[in-house]
Amino acid sequence: MARSPITVSGPRSVVHGWEVSTRRSAAALRLSDASPLAKVSVRADADGALADALGVRFRGSRREDGVLVIGSGPGEWLLVGRVGMAPEIAEKVRGQGEGEFATIVDLTHGRALMRLSGRDAARTLAKVCAVDLSDDLTPDGAAFRTSVAKVATDVVRDDAGGGAGESSYLLHCERSSGQYLFDCLLDAGMEFGVEPAGPHLNQDEPAR
Amino acid sequence: MATTPVSRRLPAQAGELIDRSRPLAFRWDGRRYVGLEGDTIVSALLANGVDVFSRSFKYSRPRGVLTGSFVDPGCTVQVGDEPNVRGAHRRLEAGMDVRPQNVWPSLRFDVKSANRLVGRFLTAGFYYKTFIKPQRLWPAYQQVLSRFASGGVTSEQNVHGYYDKRYVHVDVVVAGAGPAGMSAALAAADTGASVLLVEEEYELGGHLRYSGEQSLSTLSDLRAQVAARPSIEVMTDAVVTGRYDDNWVAVLQRHIGGAVERLVKVRAGVLVAAPGLIERPYVFDGNDLPGVMLSTAVRRLINLYAVEPGERAVVLTANGDGDAAVADLTRVGVDVVGVVDGRAGETIRRATGRGRLQAVELEDGTVLPADLLVTATGWTAPTSLLNMAGDRPVWNVTAARFVPSGTDLPSTVLATGGVVGDGGPEDLMAHGRAVGTLAGERAQGRAGGTVPTLPCAPHPAMFRASTHGFVDFSEDVSSKEVVAAAKEGYDSSELVKRFTTATMGPSQGKLETINTIAVLSEATGRAIEDLGTTVWRPPYAPISLGALAGRVFEPTRVSPMQGWHEQHGAVPLLAGQWIRPDHYGDAAREARNVRENVGIIDVTPLGKLELNGPDVPQLLNLVYVNKWSKLAVGSVRYGVMCAEDGVVMDDGVTGRLADDRYLMSTTSSGAATVWEWLENWLQTAHPDWQVHVTPVTTAYASINVAGPKSRELMQRVVEGRDLSTEAFGYMQVREGRIAGVADCVLWRIGFTGELSYELHVPASYGLHVWEELLEAGDDLGIRAFGVEAQRILRLEKGHLIVAQDTDGLTRAHSAGLGGIVKLDKDDFAGKPELAWHERFALATAPRLVALQPVDPTAVPPEASQIVTPEGDILGRITSSRMSPALGHGVCLAQVDPAVSAAGTVVTIRLPGGGDIAATVQEDLAFVDPEGVRLRA
Repeated sequence: MARSPITVSGPRSVVHGWEVSTRRSAAALRLSDASPLAKVSVRADADGALADALGVRFRGSRREDGVLVIGSGPGEWLLVGRVGMAPEIAEKVRGQGEGEFATIVDLTHGRALMRLSGRDAARTLAKVCAVDLSDDLTPDGAAFRTSVAKVATDVVRDDAGGGAGESSYLLHCERSSGQYLFDCLLDAGMEFGVEPAGPHLNQDEPAR
Repeated sequence: MATTPVSRRLPAQAGELIDRSRPLAFRWDGRRYVGLEGDTIVSALLANGVDVFSRSFKYSRPRGVLTGSFVDPGCTVQVGDEPNVRGAHRRLEAGMDVRPQNVWPSLRFDVKSANRLVGRFLTAGFYYKTFIKPQRLWPAYQQVLSRFASGGVTSEQNVHGYYDKRYVHVDVVVAGAGPAGMSAALAAADTGASVLLVEEEYELGGHLRYSGEQSLSTLSDLRAQVAARPSIEVMTDAVVTGRYDDNWVAVLQRHIGGAVERLVKVRAGVLVAAPGLIERPYVFDGNDLPGVMLSTAVRRLINLYAVEPGERAVVLTANGDGDAAVADLTRVGVDVVGVVDGRAGETIRRATGRGRLQAVELEDGTVLPADLLVTATGWTAPTSLLNMAGDRPVWNVTAARFVPSGTDLPSTVLATGGVVGDGGPEDLMAHGRAVGTLAGERAQGRAGGTVPTLPCAPHPAMFRASTHGFVDFSEDVSSKEVVAAAKEGYDSSELVKRFTTATMGPSQGKLETINTIAVLSEATGRAIEDLGTTVWRPPYAPISLGALAGRVFEPTRVSPMQGWHEQHGAVPLLAGQWIRPDHYGDAAREARNVRENVGIIDVTPLGKLELNGPDVPQLLNLVYVNKWSKLAVGSVRYGVMCAEDGVVMDDGVTGRLADDRYLMSTTSSGAATVWEWLENWLQTAHPDWQVHVTPVTTAYASINVAGPKSRELMQRVVEGRDLSTEAFGYMQVREGRIAGVADCVLWRIGFTGELSYELHVPASYGLHVWEELLEAGDDLGIRAFGVEAQRILRLEKGHLIVAQDTDGLTRAHSAGLGGIVKLDKDDFAGKPELAWHERFALATAPRLVALQPVDPTAVPPEASQIVTPEGDILGRITSSRMSPALGHGVCLAQVDPAVSAAGTVVTIRLPGGGDIAATVQEDLAFVDPEGVRLRA
């Protein structure tokens, strides 16, 4: 049985081989654990054929076929999909490389992933992250790596994963710091009434 | 005690902030009082007839209201555990326990007031000159002086309150929300700019709040406009404390979002300083008596808090604000017994009274009995933020105040309102609008026009009467002392400041600067404009240490098995950011169990890097000192990395999982350094090499299984693999399923000297596999062991730990690793230095040896020195433990080669004194030097 690095209080059940919290929240600001989602790291030429096939460069992201493709660094991507989907994602990317040197590593278990959604998501994040989160510089789809509460964190603004009219951010960091980062975000969001929630593993939407 | 009846509260005032329907009970100096919601601590006390709030710093003189604002030097109080609360600013809360501070033993009778009798010996420089000799008495001086130090008390039991930080990126920051600041914010917003409007008071408006009904109507309109602009964020009870390079603006927000204070770090396109003006006290004998107030204090008290400031008033007015105070006083029924007009050359001579004001003596000798003396003699422009941006204010003779020069400011810093010039609300608002438009345009990269001007109005130059009084109320510095300082040769504003401490108290020159310079000017005969001001530096307002600290962000890292460790009584060990189990109660027993049965240890923090690509062997050959070209798939090799200077930087094993796929392990503390080291070589020296490095330290949970029964255990959990020595020998690696979990990596290596296996399992299954191992090994005597047991075991085996048994000077040979340095390799990091070392330094460089204390019960502490009989240092103990397996102490040491031969008896000097003897061993390993057990 697999377990997330993030503990969310509340009833638990086993879904797709993962023991997860079934806690849900309808609060105006939610922080949910998304760690069980498939995460595949891709390294390749920043401007090569695979980069073209992935269709996104560093600092951008896009959704395709249930996968969120994140340009997380120069020549570096993270692909996030439904739980258990990592082999399928890896296989598909491998087929797109046209023989160029590329490395595909399943990092599902190596990264903690969480989603912060709500009207005050940006204000919450701005308490622990110095990056300008305005629409001008960090529009929907923007991806960047920075310090969040002193942890090296990859941040993706992915409003499609939140509610209507809300901002939503996916954050992922090294697995071992996941609980710390989750707790820091809950602390930062306290004044906005943030509530924690377990992973939504049965939805079709990727990384929701 | 009985509640004191509210006695000085006036009937309803047009702009009052108090809510008469909401009484708040609080305590002052142990007595119970009742104020109203919206009161400050001081207005509530004044309404109750209390008018002395503190004792002064040096002479312990009673002090009351002077400015009725944040900077009021006499209104600093203790609230509960919080010292130095600005009582004329802090809003009253129900149940507050307010006490005077800096009194001993009480506000009413303070023994320090005896200082007044010897005041002439306590002039500026007294401390410097008196307490410097003899130096040995300083501790005694210190004890007494601390009784005289200003400030309240804090409890050592206080916990760090909730203080936090926030980052803001905005086009325009407006510091100050009077009519000019509000207008600037509105105009900037109208250009499309995002705006942050910061106001020190609890509500917007500045002086419009207490300047009559017409002003209130203007204010109401401005507030409605600000509220209607979503692009303006308003922060009240907040203050811009500093402007730093590139418009990094610090804002301190108080009592917000559940936080005591919040430090807001703002990146501003343009900063507009709109701090208004601060009213300047007048210097005369008795100017600090309770009952002597500035005109703005009186107007705040009457109009905002409906408090009667006195019953019989004398007003010294040199401007319209003084006249307005006369009007306010008259309107509310205060008997104004004298109006002295500074514009007509009139002034007062002194104020007199015992403990509080009783009479005012005019210049012609007339004495007017009064309990209130109001002065309106001029202004100080708080140019702090502009100073911080590079501006040096200049003296405006006509207006008798310093004003910003405006010539040295970057284009991203502007000023508006009273700090620049004078005018009625309409003039100030017009200037604010023009500056706000310019700020908005500039912030958005559009050119904008020229900086609009706002002229200063003429004002009489009034600083001191014919008598001497206080120029600095916070530090108890009198004008007489400034004159004396000038006579002693401290004749510049900067020197006088440092010698007298004038302007160095909590109000930081906002009230004192101009009077100090004016008195200095008088004493030296030099013009004020030639003397110049002292420099205002950040912070503009006091910041608590709590706000600077904010939330405590200390990232911690834990393995997937951390919960299990905690449930099983693990004593935590902080190793960098990692929290690891040091032991589960008995490290020696855990170590013995590994030698006898089988143990498992969580080694997840071990650094792990996945290396992919055809050029990985080249990279390994470059960064390790040994050879890697011929490592076969399925094999593992130990490697040592040295920096360019040949000093050992890390060690670990690397295994070849597939043709182009390797897994490198590093030390736990070296994981990040090694990753950067590899990336550095790849990105800068060999961008042509096809290698990708992926850090996977926490992608795997790592478990070391060690002990003679480890193979038996592993056979029960590893699926489909022959684990016999023939099929899976020492220094081999395999991938496969362990306890039902796919994609695990299994290495046959070890650090303990026993037969052992290292498992790397996908981290989400770490706890699952850990628990499966414990269950499967129950009948084998399995027991978890912690870091301490591992340290004992590895020391028994003579394995070094990089950075414990080596230091920043230890080259490979000095760590006993010379044997694996392959100088016949083409090139590698550290080769030239290591080649030099081998050829020229080997005979003199320190060596790593194992030592056994002669006394079997002795364990010299780590870092104990090895000395000659004369006491010269020959080396040091780098690691030491009592060996539970051998029953004597075991040590590693770096020693001089002269004493490194086996059998040499060395002397170890213990840190606490005394020497012990120890014998140099043949081999680093005490246990199984031949390696039979681990190869079993």
